[in-house]
Amino acid sequence: MSSDALSSTLFALADPTRRALLARLAHGDLSVKELAQPYEMSLAAVSKHLKVLESAGLISRSRQAQWRPCHFEPAPLQALSVWLEDYKRFWERSLDGLTDYLKELQTAPPEPSVPKRKSMRKAKRDKTPRRHPPRPMRKEST
Amino acid sequence: MTVDIDTSSSTAPIIIMTRVFEAPRELVWAMFTEPKHVAKWYGGRGFENPVCEMDVRPGGLWRHVMRTPSGEEFANEFVFVEVIKPEKLSWQHIDYGREPSGAHPTSRMTVTLEEAGANTRWRLVTEFSSFEERALAQRIGFAEAIAEGSDKLNALAKALYAQTQASSVGRAP
Repeated sequence: MSSDALSSTLFALADPTRRALLARLAHGDLSVKELAQPYEMSLAAVSKHLKVLESAGLISRSRQAQWRPCHFEPAPLQALSVWLEDYKRFWERSLDGLTDYLKELQTAPPEPSVPKRKSMRKAKRDKTPRRHPPRPMRKEST
Repeated sequence: MTVDIDTSSSTAPIIIMTRVFEAPRELVWAMFTEPKHVAKWYGGRGFENPVCEMDVRPGGLWRHVMRTPSGEEFANEFVFVEVIKPEKLSWQHIDYGREPSGAHPTSRMTVTLEEAGANTRWRLVTEFSSFEERALAQRIGFAEAIAEGSDKLNALAKALYAQTQASSVGRAP
């Protein structure tokens, strides 16, 4: 999943109406008219929301049938779910680490010396490092 | 203690996390702005940070290499956007807002620190950048776009996926 795809999925899901539309479509295909029924909303307004969902790849619409039913596509949600879970895990893990470290610092006198750092050049020589968080690690699981 | 994820609204897709640290604000600020401290916790237990160079001022760079417990290294370059000691720190990927080159969205992260008695309330707002998303927001004329907490999104994603799997045999309107 590309960055743009992930962002547009986030954007599409940001709106409660769109989430509700999606949840109904997960039960089966519906036309715009059917989707609009429970809402005090014009067909045009519902169409706008559907366009956002369609741009994000969350729904597809048949070109054949005259009523152009909307069809739920789950792939972007799965990808987003995995990514967000990783993002959250990265920060939770980091903040747990920070909590422990703060406890250490506040119970013992702080270390006077600055830990030695390896140079950027060394790290680059080892291999070309990839981007990391908000891209989190999937492999380890703690 | 877990991270609480909040709901809010903004002009960009955001994730908000909050947490309370049992430490004075000045100390928590140091944890996020001094490389010797950042290197100790960033990534969490088992992670190392062989490179952490920070020039903590607006426009200053943060070059970071993190090593996972399995030895894999991840490099990032951030630039600090806003530095208001000891209450607000904002940084973003160096290519934030540009066409993303990597496989992951670039983001801007803003940490705010608030005093809560002897504790410090920490809040992180993550905004994701994307040309596509911005163009989309303009085109449809409303830019209120928030990502609800990832818990809720995950729940939604799982529920929707389960439903679609269950209904994939006999799809009826």
